Amino acid sequence: MLRALLVAAKDVRHVYRSRASLVLMLVAPLLVTGAIGAAFGSGEGFEIEATRTVVVDQDRGAGAGHPASTDASADGGAGAGFPAAGAAIRAALGSPELADLVDLTTSPDPQSARAAVDAGVADVAVVIPPDLSEALWGGSPFGDGEPGPATIQIYKDASRTVGPGIVAAVVEQVVRTCQGAVAAARSAVAATAAHGLDDPAALGALASAAASDFLTRAQSDPGLSLRARPPSVSTTGPERAPNVAAQVLIGMMVFFTLFGASVPARSVLDEHRAGTLPRLFTTATPRSLILGGKYIAVFVVVLLQSIILLIAGLLLYGAHWGAFGPVAVLTVCGAVVAASLGLVTVSFAKTPGQAGAVSSVIFVFLGLVSGSFTGTADLGQVYSVLRRISPLGWLLEAWDNIMFGGSFSDIVLPVLVVLAFSLVFFALATFFFRRRYA
Amino acid sequence: MEAIVVEKLRKQFDPPKGPVAVDDVSFRIAEGEIFSLLGPNGAGKTTMISILSCLLKPDQGEAWVGGFSVTKEPEKVKQLIGVVPQEIAVYEDLTGRENLAFWGRMYGLGGQLLRQRVDEVLEVVGLVDRQKDRVGKYSSGMKRRLNIGIALLHQPRILYLDEPTVGIDPQSRRSILDRVKELNAAGTTVLYTTHYMEEAQELSHRVGIMDHGAMIAIGSQAELVQLVGGRTRIDLRVDRHLQLVAEQWQSLPGVHSLSRDEDTGLQLLADDAAALMPRLLESARALGVRITEMTVAEPNLEMVFLHLTGRALRD
Repeated sequence: MLRALLVAAKDVRHVYRSRASLVLMLVAPLLVTGAIGAAFGSGEGFEIEATRTVVVDQDRGAGAGHPASTDASADGGAGAGFPAAGAAIRAALGSPELADLVDLTTSPDPQSARAAVDAGVADVAVVIPPDLSEALWGGSPFGDGEPGPATIQIYKDASRTVGPGIVAAVVEQVVRTCQGAVAAARSAVAATAAHGLDDPAALGALASAAASDFLTRAQSDPGLSLRARPPSVSTTGPERAPNVAAQVLIGMMVFFTLFGASVPARSVLDEHRAGTLPRLFTTATPRSLILGGKYIAVFVVVLLQSIILLIAGLLLYGAHWGAFGPVAVLTVCGAVVAASLGLVTVSFAKTPGQAGAVSSVIFVFLGLVSGSFTGTADLGQVYSVLRRISPLGWLLEAWDNIMFGGSFSDIVLPVLVVLAFSLVFFALATFFFRRRYA
Repeated sequence: MEAIVVEKLRKQFDPPKGPVAVDDVSFRIAEGEIFSLLGPNGAGKTTMISILSCLLKPDQGEAWVGGFSVTKEPEKVKQLIGVVPQEIAVYEDLTGRENLAFWGRMYGLGGQLLRQRVDEVLEVVGLVDRQKDRVGKYSSGMKRRLNIGIALLHQPRILYLDEPTVGIDPQSRRSILDRVKELNAAGTTVLYTTHYMEEAQELSHRVGIMDHGAMIAIGSQAELVQLVGGRTRIDLRVDRHLQLVAEQWQSLPGVHSLSRDEDTGLQLLADDAAALMPRLLESARALGVRITEMTVAEPNLEMVFLHLTGRALRD
């Protein structure tokens, strides 16, 4: 066994003395993570910075002759009139749910709002026209008029993309909700008129109530979740959301550990070609110990790589990983599966070049299907099934669980699946290596 | 007592159509002997070493090293042998000393004995001054010497050297040949493969000549030269038309066989040198060629190979 450790120590030293290997294993994942972080912003842990938003609300409400309100929150639920669309937009942008993303202020006129953007004081200005509600409600509480032309101006700093995009999406969502409210009001009026009620005041009140009710429901119960696959954690405490840095770096780490594993795994072929492996076989050390040493080296190299990346993520990007115990288990588990994958892809190949080409293709495929690049984003049912054909998909799921505050019980199944995959890969690699070298 | 016994060994790669690397070869090497396998590239020498090192299994036949079967008792065989492979099999990212220490441990050495042997081997191969340098910075000759030193660490009873002087300078070659003699004088049995006739002649107690996987002759140098049958070797150099001259002289009466050097050299095996030389001079004059050098010598192993195969060792 000591001789296996000697072989392992020699291989580990070889890998960590190679600059090319260090770049591939450590610098590349940190750089990619940094690049992705730069695309989002420069906040701690890559949290998206709150977008400084100035709103100019000139909306007059639903117009003369109609019981429109100027404040949806105050009047919208009373059924006394149609809610003002401008107020609804203001309320949506100032909602507590968006407090981390939108830093909202108001401005009395469009000129000063645009000047704030030009001066860099604000990132985006939302200019709501005076006739927005009238245009939306079609000039009639009964909804029988045509929507008029009204334009909401989004005036943004050209250098900012993500934040203004979020603001524009929120505004568009509110406008669509208002259009839904118009449809609801029309339906209510039409249904009531069909039963013989033709009192304009009563119909107007009904339409207002239907629109307000629709709007209130739409705002309080959106029916959509930004996180399509909530983590399956069983924690009783408050759910914790990981920062973006942690999620990106875990994906990169899992992906690049495969390449980390392939470097020492390829040493079997490198040494065969260089003649040192046959020479090792002429010594009194059994071949099983020599190959065992190679296996240990691959595992140790990847384990060290993972530990270094986790610590670097903590120090450089403020990533928080979760409880120490589950993190340790997943780190070891990740090293095991990466080592097994590195070895099995090399065991098929005849030359180091062939091994490099084949393993790169396999690793990129596994990275894509497992979500190393996309995180836990919902890309459809097919994808959610597909990612589970890869052990890396299970591993990322387990990491996701503990980053959301999960404990050991939340990673048992993924860990067992990952270890089962690893066992199969190790068995395959051993079969092919024994067939070649036994 | 015999150190190595080989009985009817056969090895074919990629059967049934692949090349037969070793074909029904038998020989014996006595304890304390230097035995050279001489033959051109592809003769089967390295395959033979691989079988005797327990790296390859023979298709047929058997071999015993130190009395142990290479197929049934490989672990015991490996404890007796030291192998110097043809390619330089060392770790270039380790220092010379680190290499020796690693390989020493793989041979089962440790502690004080390992340190002592590493020091001794560094002395033997002349790398004491460069022991802390990475091997990647060594010259080819230094790497060759380290390559040999590794095989000496555990003081093997039997040493295999597979073409250990390929691609090195004359000084390093001289050093290696001297070391081999010293090791043999200290009691080590040596199996040495080469395609350099001079090395086999200088080192060996006995020589086995291999060609196309077969052992075509075996014996001491004197015994092998006897095969040439009292003929005489004539080395000649001409100033031009070497190809034409070779073709003409091949068919001259009294020329048993002929081989060419790269440029202007010819080697002839003559039945009667005294009778042949006037005919050679006459022929050269007729061809308009000037003979610039002519040496008459006793036949060597090169001529034996030429006599047996009709080809030069380097062909």
